[in-house]
Amino acid sequence: MAVIRDMIPPFELYQPAGVDDAVRLMEQYGDEGWVLAGGLDTFDWFKDRIKRPAAVIDLAAVDEIRGIAEGGDGGLDIGAMTSLTAVAEHADVQSRYPLLAEAAGLVATPQIRNQGTLGGNIVQDTRCWYYRSGWPCYRAGGNICYASTRRAMNREHCIMGADRCVAVNPSDTAPALVALDAEMVVASSSGERTYAAADFFIGPDIDIERMTVLEPGDLLTRIVLPAPREGARWYFEKIRDRKSWDFSLVTVASMLQVQGGVIQDARVVVNSIAPYPVRMGAVEAAIRGREPSDETGQMAGEIAVEGARALRHNDYKIALTRNLVKRSIRDAA
Amino acid sequence: MAERAIGTDISPPDLHAKITGRARYAEDFHAEGMAFAKLLLSPMPHARVRSVDTSRAEAMEGVLGILRASELPRPEQGTREGALSDEPLYEGAPILAVAAVDETTAAAAVEAIRVDLEPLPFVLDPLDSLRESGPNARTDGNVPGEDGPTSLKWPDSVFDEAGPDRLPMGEPTAEWAIGDVDAAFGEADVIVEETIVHQSVTHHPMEPRSCMAYWQNGKLFLHGSTQSTERTRGPVAAMAGIDVEDVVMIGEYCGGGFGSKISGVPIMAVPAVLSRKIGRPVMLRITRYEENYIGRARAGFQGWAKIGFRSDGRMTALDLYLVQDSGAYGASDFFTAGTVATASYQPENMRFRGVPVYTNTPPRSAQRAPGGAQIVAMLEPVVDKAARELGVDRLEIRKINAPGHDGWLGPNQGPFTSAYVREALDLGGELFDWEARSQLSGRREGTRVTGVGMGLSPFTAGSNGRDGLLVIRPDGKLHVHQGIGNLGTHSIADTARAASDVLDLDWDDVVVVWGDTSKHLPFSTVQAGSQTTHAHTRANHAAGEAMVGLLQELAALELGGSATDYRVADGRVFRAGNRAAGLSFAQAAERAIARGGKFSGGEIPEDLHDVTKGAVAGLAGEGLIAAAKDNYGQPGAVFTWVATFAQVELDVETGEVEIVDLASTTDCGTVIHPRSLAAQTNGGVFQGIGMAKSQRWVFDPQWGIPFTKRFYTARPPGILDVPLSPRFAAVNEPDPHTPVGAKGIGEPPVGAGEAAYACAVADAMGGLCLCRTPLTSDMILAELEGRPRPYGLLDTHV
Amino acid sequence: MEFLRRALNPWGEDVPIGVSWDLIWAAVIIGAVFVVVHALMVPKKVATGEIDESEAEGLPEKLQRHTVGARGFHWSMSATMFALLITAFFPVIGIQFPWVTIHWIAGVLLILTVIYHIYHVFAKQDFWTMWIDRRDVEEGKLGLKAALGRSVERPRAGKYPVDQKMFHHVAMIATLGAVVTGVLMMFRVDNFLLPMNTYMFSDATWGWVYVIHGVCGIGLIFLVIAHVYFAIRPEKRWMTWSMINGWIDRNRYLENHDPARWTVDGGSQTAEAEGD
Repeated sequence: MAVIRDMIPPFELYQPAGVDDAVRLMEQYGDEGWVLAGGLDTFDWFKDRIKRPAAVIDLAAVDEIRGIAEGGDGGLDIGAMTSLTAVAEHADVQSRYPLLAEAAGLVATPQIRNQGTLGGNIVQDTRCWYYRSGWPCYRAGGNICYASTRRAMNREHCIMGADRCVAVNPSDTAPALVALDAEMVVASSSGERTYAAADFFIGPDIDIERMTVLEPGDLLTRIVLPAPREGARWYFEKIRDRKSWDFSLVTVASMLQVQGGVIQDARVVVNSIAPYPVRMGAVEAAIRGREPSDETGQMAGEIAVEGARALRHNDYKIALTRNLVKRSIRDAA
Repeated sequence: MAERAIGTDISPPDLHAKITGRARYAEDFHAEGMAFAKLLLSPMPHARVRSVDTSRAEAMEGVLGILRASELPRPEQGTREGALSDEPLYEGAPILAVAAVDETTAAAAVEAIRVDLEPLPFVLDPLDSLRESGPNARTDGNVPGEDGPTSLKWPDSVFDEAGPDRLPMGEPTAEWAIGDVDAAFGEADVIVEETIVHQSVTHHPMEPRSCMAYWQNGKLFLHGSTQSTERTRGPVAAMAGIDVEDVVMIGEYCGGGFGSKISGVPIMAVPAVLSRKIGRPVMLRITRYEENYIGRARAGFQGWAKIGFRSDGRMTALDLYLVQDSGAYGASDFFTAGTVATASYQPENMRFRGVPVYTNTPPRSAQRAPGGAQIVAMLEPVVDKAARELGVDRLEIRKINAPGHDGWLGPNQGPFTSAYVREALDLGGELFDWEARSQLSGRREGTRVTGVGMGLSPFTAGSNGRDGLLVIRPDGKLHVHQGIGNLGTHSIADTARAASDVLDLDWDDVVVVWGDTSKHLPFSTVQAGSQTTHAHTRANHAAGEAMVGLLQELAALELGGSATDYRVADGRVFRAGNRAAGLSFAQAAERAIARGGKFSGGEIPEDLHDVTKGAVAGLAGEGLIAAAKDNYGQPGAVFTWVATFAQVELDVETGEVEIVDLASTTDCGTVIHPRSLAAQTNGGVFQGIGMAKSQRWVFDPQWGIPFTKRFYTARPPGILDVPLSPRFAAVNEPDPHTPVGAKGIGEPPVGAGEAAYACAVADAMGGLCLCRTPLTSDMILAELEGRPRPYGLLDTHV
Repeated sequence: MEFLRRALNPWGEDVPIGVSWDLIWAAVIIGAVFVVVHALMVPKKVATGEIDESEAEGLPEKLQRHTVGARGFHWSMSATMFALLITAFFPVIGIQFPWVTIHWIAGVLLILTVIYHIYHVFAKQDFWTMWIDRRDVEEGKLGLKAALGRSVERPRAGKYPVDQKMFHHVAMIATLGAVVTGVLMMFRVDNFLLPMNTYMFSDATWGWVYVIHGVCGIGLIFLVIAHVYFAIRPEKRWMTWSMINGWIDRNRYLENHDPARWTVDGGSQTAEAEGD
C-alpha cells in the first residue's frame, strides 16, 4: 500500500462544552479517540496520516479549563486550555512565577503560542524524527529504535534515561513546572487524580509508547502552582538552533532558595536530554548549604552529567547540560 | 520634467494585491469541472517499478484517471528528469499521479495503489560512490561522461592516503589551470591548506510548485509558479508534446523561486497531460512535504583548498579540488565555483579540479548564486587564516586581491564590464567601521566572545540581446510588456523604469503588463543568473529609444517639420522650445492606430525574436507600438560584488552565536530602486547566514530518507536570528557598458552573508576555521570544549 | 485475531514486527481450559500399592531421582523462566514497570543455566534417559488409553515417564527458540555484553526473530501453566517432592518405574543422595 503524506484523512469531530462530556467521549472512543487542544502536535500527525483516529474530541469549547485563577494556599490554578501567550503574559504569572512566564514565552513563535495551550505543551509527543516519520519504531509499537543505530542522525536525542527508545521530551514548560513543584490534575471517567509534575512524565522503561502518565480516557485539566516561595531565585534557559520556531537542544529550569548567601533548597530540572524532564536530585543535594557561586555551579554541572552517555552525534549535549546547570546555579536571579 | 524614476523608491504595482491577500497564486485558481491530482512518491531512494496494481484505486468512486511515466510525451531520458519515473532515483520521486473529484479521494486512491518496487543500490555521499566498492546512484553511472553518465572509481589507496578528514583526490572529470601553481607554491611566503565542505540545502520557497492546467481548442492553459513567464512556455510545450504557440502560461505571482523555478518545473507535465487525458481541468497542489523532494536543492561540495600568498598579501596560487553532490540528475555548480573564485581573488596561478557525482538525493538546480555562494563561504575563512599568518588586515587582503576594471574572469581570463570592488570594500569598511570593530576581536564579556568578519562575494549579474516591447495606448499610458516573471524581486516594475526614464514619463503613467502570455509578452531572459535587471533595463531602454523615435516621426508627420525638431517628455511629444505644439501620448496613440504600419505593429523590426514578433502582431492596431532588441553590446562579463560585514558574539558555554551587527555594500552599478535593492541584499545575506548557521538537510544513511521535510526541522533562519536593522549602502557607479548602468543583485549577497558569518565565528574562536557549512552550535561547542566532533570534517547531510 | 503484528518499514514494505499479543490471552485460555478439562476428565490415579516385593530386595528406602545439580538446574530455570515471563508479559497486559534490564539479565542467567544443564547431561548424566524410544511410545499409547478410561495395564516407565519426556522436549524447543532469538535481540538493546548492531539483519528477518521469540514465549506460558498444574496434582506430588529433596521412596520407584529400564544401584544411590 502506498504511503501519502500532508493530507488530513476524514474523522468525526466532537466539540464538547464541558470536561464531563469530553471525558465521556474519550471513554466511549478509547484508543480510537484523539483529544485536540491547540492542534500544533495533532495536525502534524494527522497531515502525515500516521495517527488516524476515528473521532477527534476538540476541547476548544471547554471553557471551564481555560484561564488563570487564584488557587488555594496562595497559588495559581491554570486551566490546561489556557494559551501559552496568556500564560506568558499574565501579570500574576510574570510577577510570581517568572520561570513559567519565561518558559511559555520561549515556545515556538507568537502565532503558535497564541494557538498552543499549556496543557498541550506539557503532554506533547516527542519530536524524534524517526518516530514522527511514521517509522515502526518501539514508540510506534515496533521492535527497533532507528535513532540509536550506529549511523543514525541523533543530534537531538537522549544522553540519559534511554531505554531502547532515545527520544527526548521537547516541552519548554514541563521543566519549569517540575522546578516549580506544580501539580497536574487529571480527569477521567473514574474521577479526578492529581500528580506531582515530576511524577507526571514517564520514561520508555515504564511505557515506551507514552510520554506521560495519561492513558486513553485521561484528560489533563488543570495545572496547580503552589504559593511562590519567599526569596526564591530562578533560572531558565533554552538552547536552540534558531531564536524562534525551534525545539530546544537542552533546556534548564531551576529554583533556588537562598538565605544568608547559602542555598537552602533547590530544584534543578533539565529537559530535552532524556525522554522526560530530568530532575537533578544529586545536584540539588550537593549544592544545599553552599553559596550559589561559580565553584558550586561547576560542581553542580559535573554532577549533573555523571552517567550521561552520548549517542553517535550528541556528545555536545553532555557539555551543554553541564554548562547550563552550572549557569543555573551561578546566574540564578 | 518628470521625476527620474531610476534611483527612487516606488511602490511596485503588485504590492497592494500581495499585502491584502488579493494576489492569486497558482493554487488559487479554479476552473469549471476541475479535478485534483495527488502524487504517489517513491518510498525508496533508488528502485525499479516491477508492477503497479491500480485496480482498487480505479474502482473507487470519484477517481478519474491515473497517469504513469510512460504516458508523458518526453519521458525520462538519460539524465533528463521526467515528472514521473518508473526508476525513481531518490526517495520522494513521483512515480505516478491520480486524478479524482477531490483531494481526499485522490489521496485515498493513492493509498490504495500497490506498487511493487525492486530496491536498487543507493548512495548519499559522493565519496562513497567514488570508492571501488561503492554503489552508483544511477544504473548508468555515477559521473557525467561525454555520452551520458559513466562510472568513475578511485583506487582505495587514494582514500587510504587521505584519511578520514582530508579530501581524497583521485582522477577528476574537469580540470583547468592558469600559470603554474606548483611553482608558485614553491615561492609563496605563506601557504594555507584546508578541507572545505558546503552542504546541500533545499530551496524552501514559500509557494510550493503547485500548478493547474486545462485545455481549450487545442491550447494548453497552465497556471503555475515560475520565475520566468515567457520562457516557461517552451519547456511546458515540450512536456505536453505540443507547439510553443499552443501554450498559454499564466503566473502573475511567484512565491519565491531562488533558482528552483527558472523556466517551469518538471512537475507541470502532470496536470498538463493528465488534464488532456481525462478531459477536465486538473489542479495539482504541491504540499510542503512534496516540495521538499521535487523543489530542487543546492549542490553540496566536499573540497580541498591550498592557497599561497606573497608576504604583501597577494594571492599567488590557488589550488582547488571540489567533489560535488549533484543529486540524481546533475548540476554544474562546481564549475561555476572555480570561475567565481577568480572574481574574488584574481590568483596569479590557479588550478581547478572537480568531480560532480550523482547521488540518490533530490534533484539539484540553481540556487541563488549556484557554485558562487558555496565557494565564497568555504574560501573566505581560509583567506582570513592566511591574513592572520601574514599579519595583513583581513579587509586589506581582499582589497589587495580584488579585481579592478582591468580584472579578469575564469579560465579564459576574459574581461569584466566594470568592477568597483575596492570601492565597495572601502564603503563597507566605513559603513561598518571596520577599523574600530576589528579591534573588538576576541573581546570577552562574561561568557560571550566577540568575533568580527567579512565576506566578499562576486556573481554573474547580467546578459544582453533581449527584446523590449512598449505600447502607448489611447489611454495615454505607457504599457510596458514584460516577458520576465514576478518572483518577488520587483524587477517587473524596476526594469520598466528604464523605458519611462527614456520617455521622461511620470511613473504614475506607466502600466506594467506581465504574468500572462496571452497578453503578448516579448522575448525575455530566463529570470536567473541575476540577469534580469541588466538585460531588461537594456531591452526596455532600447524599446524606449525606439518609442521616442516613433513619437518624433509621428509628430513630424502629423504636425510638420522634421523628427529631430521634437522632444518627448511628461507624456507628450512636442516641438523643442514649444511644449504646446505637440501631441499627448493619448493623441499619439490614436494617430498611430489610424496610420498603422510601423506605428502600430504593422511593420516589425527584423532583428526581434519570433516570440516578440508574435506579440507585436497580436497587439497590432492597439496603440503606438515600439519593440526593439537590445543591441548595445557587452564587451565583458557582467559581475556584481557584495561585501558583508558581521559582528557576532559567541557564548563559549553553549556554542550559540548571536549576530549583533551586519552591514553590506555592493557594486551593482547604478541603483534602480534603493529600498528594493537593500531588501534583496539583506534577504540574500540572511539566506546565506541560514545556510551557514542553522539550516540543514539531514538524511538517514541507512535508509536514504531525509528528515528535514518541514520548516521546523530544516531550520531556515527567522527574522530573530539576524539583527533587526542591518545596514546597507551601494557604490552606485554606473557600469559604463550598459545604458542604464545597472547590474543584477539577486545572487551575490548569499555567499557574502555566509562568509561574513563563518569568518566572524572563526574570529571569535581565535581564528580556528572549521571551513564548513553548516556550522551549528553543537559543532562549535565540541571544538571549544575539546570534545569529540559530532561529525567528521567531510560529512555531509548533517 | 491476527497471528502477527505487521508494519510498513521505512521503505513502505510490509514486514512482520512480532507476534500478536492477543496470543498471550490465547495461551492463558488454552492453558486454563486444558487444566479444567484435565482436572475434570482424568481421574486421580490411585496408587495400587501392589508391589512385587522381590524387586525391592537390595533397594534402599530412598532412591535418588534428581541430583543436586539437576535440581539446581530445574529451580534456576524455573526462577529465570518466571522472571522472563513476568517481565515479558506483565507490561504488555498493563502492569508497567522497567522490565528490559531484568528481562535480559534473567535471559542471560537462563542461558547459563541451560549451558550448565547441557554440560551436566553430557558429562554427568545419561543423555539417553530423556530419549523417547519404542517402549516410551508404547507406554504413551497405553497411558492415553488409560487416561481415556480404558482398562489397560499401564507399563512402568523408565527414569522419566513419557509425558515428562514430551514436556521436556517441547519446553526445550520453546526455550531454545526463545534463547537463540533472545541472544540476537540483545544486539538491539543497550547492554554491556553485546554491541548494538540494529541492522545486523534485514528488517523482515528481524521481524521473524521477534515472531519466533514471541511464539516461544507465549508457548512457554502454556507450558508453564501445564507444568505447574501437574506439579501440584496429588498423584504427581511425589515427583514434585523429588525435585525438591532429590529422592523417591522405594515403593514409588517400584510402582512407577521399571527397574529394567531405570536401574538403580541401591547402595551407592543412598550414599550419593545428597551429593553430585
